Amino acid sequence: MKKVCIGSGSGFWGDLLEPALEMAEKGDVQYIGFDHLAELTMAILNRMKTKNPELGYIQDIIPWMKKLLPISVPKGIKTITNAGGANPLQAAKEVKKIIQELKLGPMKIGVVYGDDILPYMDEIRAQGWKFKNLDTGEEDIDRIRKDIVAANAYIGADLIIEELGKGADLVITGRVSDNALYVGPLMYEFGWDYSEKYIDRIAAAVTVGHIIECSACVTGGMSNMWQVSERPWDIGFPIAEFYENGEAVITKTPGSGGIVNPWTVKEHLLYEIIDPANYMMPDGIADFTALRLIEEGMNRVRVTNMRGKKRPDTLKVCIGYRDGFIGEGLAFFPWPDALEKAKWAEQWVRERFKRLGVKFEELRIDYMGVNMLHGEAAPIEDKDFNEVGLRIAAKAKTKEEAEIVRREATHLWTMGPIGVSFGIPLDVRPVVALWPSLVPREAVRVESTTMEVNG
Amino acid sequence: MAKIQLKELAFARSGDKGDVSNIGLMAKSKNIYDFLVKAITPERVKEHFKGMIKGGVEIYPVSNLESLEIILRRSLGGGATCTLRFDQTGKSMGQALLRMEVQADEALLKEAEATDKEILSRYSPVNRSNG
Repeated sequence: MKKVCIGSGSGFWGDLLEPALEMAEKGDVQYIGFDHLAELTMAILNRMKTKNPELGYIQDIIPWMKKLLPISVPKGIKTITNAGGANPLQAAKEVKKIIQELKLGPMKIGVVYGDDILPYMDEIRAQGWKFKNLDTGEEDIDRIRKDIVAANAYIGADLIIEELGKGADLVITGRVSDNALYVGPLMYEFGWDYSEKYIDRIAAAVTVGHIIECSACVTGGMSNMWQVSERPWDIGFPIAEFYENGEAVITKTPGSGGIVNPWTVKEHLLYEIIDPANYMMPDGIADFTALRLIEEGMNRVRVTNMRGKKRPDTLKVCIGYRDGFIGEGLAFFPWPDALEKAKWAEQWVRERFKRLGVKFEELRIDYMGVNMLHGEAAPIEDKDFNEVGLRIAAKAKTKEEAEIVRREATHLWTMGPIGVSFGIPLDVRPVVALWPSLVPREAVRVESTTMEVNG
Repeated sequence: MAKIQLKELAFARSGDKGDVSNIGLMAKSKNIYDFLVKAITPERVKEHFKGMIKGGVEIYPVSNLESLEIILRRSLGGGATCTLRFDQTGKSMGQALLRMEVQADEALLKEAEATDKEILSRYSPVNRSNG
């Protein structure tokens, strides 16, 4: 039976590079997918592109491709990456230079773009569409329209498939859904289209994409299996062996560290989803409630019985808008009476804010080491703590107001109780809030092009 | 019957989707799953987190994975990019849920201990060779 082996080389911007290189070298894979985009990333990349039209993609891919391509290209491993971010064409031009420098050609680079709907979202609205906020239920974007800095649709695998069909060795995309980086090659290899008869197969690909797309998060990272993960500092990235009948085996690069077992796969199936029977992706809706996990051996888990539903008519769109500033300050208090000192300091800063007449949109004060993570869900222990930190964070409309938090926290260092310790003051940061919404699939003007690179 | 903390009976892992914190709660045995489906209600979860959850709680039973998917709406201070929470993406929420105490048959505790023991012996790096 035909099988296609596909691995995950990156789960987020800033992931480790070594496991991807190790996979290209030792893993028996035909494709490696690289996801670099999170919700906020598109807003950052858009800002970069506004300042310099030759930027706006994930620049890390330059050093990465220099190391990866000399290993992957001779082995015929194809790379699918969304590192194009807000500027996939520029990213492709940069990668083209690398291919020429390293004399790896001839090669074809498929470039997929058009996910950025910001330039024409008002036209879509003029036709009667409302960008309703899926979190809050707010009807449309009127209130935030002038502050919008990014609006990207999570597009599917359609054009990745098309570019692979045209012979692309490497596909660089914009805000394609992380999942489509995996669904695309599988649909292309098995010759599936979006018609009725392939719905369950595509749902299986969506499911498998979900399992491996966060790289180390299914191979022992962020896991309840942390105590039994082998050489976690040599953690390997996940590989899916996908079979034509819609079954798959989840494993990792041979010889690498980490762990893949039914628990790590379960953890990731349940991770960052809402309804397990309706995991909505642009290429299909996966239902995780019928599948079976079978442990075939060490670091091998077979997934069978995957199924789902037809792809939705709408695409998710992530709208980012400017929403004020966050200021943050820290101070640490030592034994004895560490918690009492922190409480004293809290009162001190609150009084200072009153005297300065500053009105924050939101103010939050945590005792680090006491209640910062579990908050009201955890009782405060009755003991003399070795040390307690005070974290003051506030959201303000202006940068100047947010700066006050930082400044008052540093005053605590000299005007607070005995023994205050402090680190380096944190910078005030601008907030880009997110407005999750939907857009009709046909309203998104996706495009692709093939870039030829000669030898 | 005994008062047992959830951490003994299940594993948990949490993450975010905007302002939603989601927790995958994985039972350590089939019987424990059957018990948790009845014992863990949205009301109990909301009460456990005191004021931390501003929106509703939904629970999806996932019997094939012997797990519950627990959805906590409006619980992350507006979402990762604009929250004042230090734990911006709610990674610690699952662990917080494991503090919950339930009245359960002690036999379930025995089953959970057996699973813990099996995991340690089966997957402990000294007991397995990597291919």
